Amino acid sequence: MKKIIALVLTVMMVAALFTVGGATAFADDEGKVFNIYAWNEEFKGFFEKYYEVPEGVTVNWIIVPNADGAYQNALDEALMNQEDAADDEKVDMFLAEADYIVKYTNSGVTQDIEALGVTDFSNAYTYTVQAASDNANTVKGVSFQCCPSALIYRRSIAKDVLGTDDPAEVQAQLDSWDKFNAVAAKAKEKGYMMTASDAATYRAFSNNVTSPWVDADNKLQFDPQIEAWMAQAEDFVANGYTQAAGIWSDECTAQMFGDGKTMCFFGPAWYFNFSMGNAQDPEKGCPGDWAICEGPAAHFWGGTWLLAATGSDNPTMLADVMNTFINDEEVCSALVENEAQFCNNMAVNQKYAEDPNFGSEFLGGQNPNAVFVDLAKNIKFENQTQYDQLCNEMLQDKAFREYLKGSVTKEEAMENFYKIINEAYPNVVTP
Amino acid sequence: MKKQKGVSYAKWGYIFVAPFIVAYLIFTFYPQMLTIYNSFFENYRDGLNQVGPNFVGFDNYVKLFTPDKNGVIDILKYTGNTLILWLLGAVPQILVALLLAIFFTSYRLNIKGQQFFKTVIYMPNLIMASAFSMLFFTLFSNVGPVNQLIQAWGWSDVPIDFFARKFTVRGLISLMNFLMWFGNTTILLMAGIMGIDQDLFEAANLDGASATQTFFKITLPLLKPILVYTIITAMIGGLQMFDVPQVLTNGAGTPNRTSMTLIMYLNNYLGKSKNYGMAGAVSVIIFIITGILSLVVYRSLNRKD
Amino acid sequence: MENINTSDSRRGQIRLSVARVLVYILLIFLSILCLFSFYMLIINATRTNAQLQGGFAALPQGHFLENLKNAWTDASINIPRGLLNSFFVSASTAILTTYFSALTAYGIHAYNFRLKKFLFAFIMAIMVIPTQVSAAGFVQICYKFHITNKYWPLILPGIAAPVVFFYMKQYMESVLPMEIVEAARVDGSGEFRTFNTIILPMLKPALAVQLIFSFVQSWNNYFLPSLLLTKAEMKTVPIMIAQLRSADYSKFDMGKVYMFILLAILPVLIVYIFLSKSIIKGVTAGSVKG
Repeated sequence: MKKIIALVLTVMMVAALFTVGGATAFADDEGKVFNIYAWNEEFKGFFEKYYEVPEGVTVNWIIVPNADGAYQNALDEALMNQEDAADDEKVDMFLAEADYIVKYTNSGVTQDIEALGVTDFSNAYTYTVQAASDNANTVKGVSFQCCPSALIYRRSIAKDVLGTDDPAEVQAQLDSWDKFNAVAAKAKEKGYMMTASDAATYRAFSNNVTSPWVDADNKLQFDPQIEAWMAQAEDFVANGYTQAAGIWSDECTAQMFGDGKTMCFFGPAWYFNFSMGNAQDPEKGCPGDWAICEGPAAHFWGGTWLLAATGSDNPTMLADVMNTFINDEEVCSALVENEAQFCNNMAVNQKYAEDPNFGSEFLGGQNPNAVFVDLAKNIKFENQTQYDQLCNEMLQDKAFREYLKGSVTKEEAMENFYKIINEAYPNVVTP
Repeated sequence: MKKQKGVSYAKWGYIFVAPFIVAYLIFTFYPQMLTIYNSFFENYRDGLNQVGPNFVGFDNYVKLFTPDKNGVIDILKYTGNTLILWLLGAVPQILVALLLAIFFTSYRLNIKGQQFFKTVIYMPNLIMASAFSMLFFTLFSNVGPVNQLIQAWGWSDVPIDFFARKFTVRGLISLMNFLMWFGNTTILLMAGIMGIDQDLFEAANLDGASATQTFFKITLPLLKPILVYTIITAMIGGLQMFDVPQVLTNGAGTPNRTSMTLIMYLNNYLGKSKNYGMAGAVSVIIFIITGILSLVVYRSLNRKD
Repeated sequence: MENINTSDSRRGQIRLSVARVLVYILLIFLSILCLFSFYMLIINATRTNAQLQGGFAALPQGHFLENLKNAWTDASINIPRGLLNSFFVSASTAILTTYFSALTAYGIHAYNFRLKKFLFAFIMAIMVIPTQVSAAGFVQICYKFHITNKYWPLILPGIAAPVVFFYMKQYMESVLPMEIVEAARVDGSGEFRTFNTIILPMLKPALAVQLIFSFVQSWNNYFLPSLLLTKAEMKTVPIMIAQLRSADYSKFDMGKVYMFILLAILPVLIVYIFLSKSIIKGVTAGSVKG
C-alpha cells in the first residue's frame, strides 16, 4: 500500500512540475479578464488563497445569490448571450451544484476540458467526473471537493440498541436496508427514533437509482429505489421510527441535542462540522457522543463543480485552474488541512486517513477521513437528468410529506406532485 | 367663457401627462404586450434549449381551464384561494385602519403618544416579507414557542401542526398580511382625513354634532375618494399576493394547494422553464379577474352619492 | 366644577374617558403585535448561528456586538456601500415616483382635454396588470440590450407608477379646489410654476406618505435588482442579505443575517420618522392658513 502511495506521489509531483511548466506557456493572445460566475464566496476564498493568477489577468467574480433561482437566471442569460458578449464580458468558468449540473453539462454552453488540457482524472473520485460529463462521456468540468455522506450515529444510543458503538461493528449491523429497517424496530422498543426526518435517508436511495426520473420518451417514472424510499418513509412514520418533518426543520434539529432520542443522521463532513450546531452546543449538546460509518448505501450530498464555458477567451488559464484544484498536491492538502474539506484527490485524502492526528473530537476521536476514503469510491452519479432537482425536492420535501403528515391521501399527494412537474416542465409526461 | 379656457389650457394636460406615458410605454407597456402576445404561443425552455415560439391559438387557455382527474379546474381553485386570503386579511385591515385614522385625527380623543403609535403600526411594513415569514415560521413550528405554550397550558397534548391545516395556514397568512399592511392603510386614510378642511369639523362641533354624526356626515363622504383608492389598491395587491404565502409554505401552498395564490401559480410556470406561453395566459386571466372586480367595486362605491 | 357643568356634558365626559381607555387598550395591543416581530429580530441578532439552529429564544443571548462586528466587517459584503447604494436607488425612485405621479394626476385633474377620459381609464386599466409578468419581460430586454449593472433601469420606470398616480388623483379630488388654480392664473402664474409652487405644497401630506411608501418598496425590492446588479460594488441591501443566506455551510451565519436585516431597517425607520413629522407639519400649515 505504502509503495503505491509513494508511486502516486511521485507521479503527482511530476505532474505538478508539468503544470508549473505549462503555466509559462500562457498565450499572449488570450483574454485579460477571467470571469467566474458563482452563487457564494466559498470557492472564491480558496481560489484567492491557493491559485496564483497569471500576470496581467484580472479575475472578475460575478456572484449572484441563489435565492429565488436568481443565480441560474442570471447565469443562463449570460451563457445564452455569450456569443454577442465582448471578450472581456464572456463567462470563462462557472460553478454548479450536483442537483442541476446536468442542465449545463448536456448543453453546448460547456466545453470539453480534455481538449483544453485537463486529462488526468486518475486521482479524482469517479462520481465527480461522472457528474461533470455529458451523455457522451465528454468531461466538461471538475469538482474541487468530494462530499461522501455517512451514517452519523449517537454512540450512547447505539450501545443501548446494538450493544456496541464501534464503527465497524455498527456498520456490520446496518449495512443493508433490511438490517437498517429491522434495527429501527429494535430502537423503537427501547424508546428511540431511528431517524429524525422521513427524508434523512432520501439521498441514500436517490443516488443509487438504476433508471432516470424521465425516460427517453419524456415520461416520468419511479425508480425502484425511489419507491423503496417511499415505502420506508410510510412505514417509519406510521410506526413512529421517524417523524414527518424536513431535514432542516426545527423538529429535526432539536433531536440533535443531548436529550434527543434519535439514533441516526446522514450527512457529509460539512453537515456534522457546521450544520449540527445543536449537537455541538456546550450546554445542551452532546459532542463526542457521535461516530460515523458507511451505512446501508454509499451516497453523497452537496459539492461544487467548476465548469468550462464555451467561448471562453482564457482556455489555458481555465485548464490550469481545474488542474490545480484536482491534481496539485500542495493545494489539495491545504484544502484538507486548513479548510476542513475532503478534497477531490484520492492520494491526498489517503494520506490524512492514515494520519493519527486527524481524529475529530466531535466524533469521539474517530478519523472521519478513514471512513470517507472507502465510502467515496463507491458513490455513483448515474441516470441523472436535468429534471432531478425538482423531482427529488418536490417529492420528498413537499408532496409526499403532506401525505405522511396526513393532510392529503396518497392519491392526492401524487396528483399534486404531477401538477408541480407539469407546471415546471411542459414537455414531461406524467402518469 | 369656460369652454375657451378649456381649449387654451388643454395642451398643458398633455404636457403634464406625457412623462408618465412615455416612461410607461418604454418600461412597462412593451413587456406587458409581449405577455399577452406570448399567451398565444408555445414558448418555454427545456433546460437551456428554447422551445418555440410556435403559434398555438387558444391552446394555453384551454389547458388552463381543463379539469384535472378529480374535476377541479386549478386556476379557479387558486382564484378562490386568493380571494379568501385577501378577504381574511383586507376586511380587518381596512376596518381597523379606518378606526385608527379616526382616533388619531380626533381632537376630542386627543390621543397621547401618537407619534409612537403611528411609527410602531407602520413598522412591520419595513421588514422584508421573506424575513417576516422566517420569523413566523420559527414561532409556529412544531417545536416553536406557540406550541410550547399550547402544551404547557394543557390545550393540546401533541403539537399543533400549523402548516399542515388549511385554516391555520390561511389564518397565519392573513394575520401577516394584516400586520404588514394595516399601518400603511391607516396612514393613507389619516392623510386623507387631515386633508379635509378643518373648518368643517369646527363648524360641526359648534353646531353640536356628535362624533358619529361628524363621521358619517363629514368625514366619510369627503374621505370617500381615498377610501375607494384604499379598497381598490388593497384588492389589486391582494390578487397579486405572493411573497408571504410563498415563503411561509415554501412555495407549495400547503396543505393540498389550498394556500396557492394566482401569482404563486404564475411563478410555477415562470420559475423553471420560463414558460412565457402559459404564464402569459395566466396573467391575462388575472388581468381580467382584477379588472372586473375593480370595475364592480369602483362603480358600486361611486354610485351611492 | 359644580357651577356650569350640566349632567349632560358630564355624562359625555365620562363616555369620552371610557372611549379613550378602550382606544388606548386597542392601540397598545396592536403595538405589541407589531413590535413582537422586531423584538424577535433583535433577540435573534444577539444569537449565534448554532443557537439559532436550536430554535426560539425569548431573551437576548449576548452575541450582539459579535454579530455586528461580523456583519460590518464581512469581506464579501460591504454594508456601508450597500446602504449607500440602496439609499441612492430608493431615494431617486421615491422622488421620481411621487413627483411625476402628482404631476400626471394634476394634468388629468385640472385640465380638460380630448384624451383625458381615455388616459384616466387607460392608467386605471394598466394598474391591474400583475407587475410580476412585465418584470420577467423587462429582465429579458435588459439582457438583450446589455443594460445590466446600471441604476437607471431600476429608477426611471418609477416615473410611471399607476397606483401612486391613482392615490394623488383621489387625494386631489377630496382636497384641491380649482378656485386656487384660477386665482393663480389671474395672478399671471404659469401653469408649471403654479403646480410647483402652489399645488405641490398643498399636497404635502399625500406627497410625504407616498414618498415613504415608494422608498420602502424600492428599499426592499429584491427580484429585479438581483438579476440586473451583479457587480459587487453596485449591489443593494436585499441582494447582500440574500447573498449572506446563500453563503456556504462553513460561513453560513444566521446571526449575521438577522443583524443585517436589523441594520437594513434602521435607515428606513429614520426616514419614516422624519417624513411622518412633515405630514403633521403639512397639515398644521394647512389649518393655519384656513
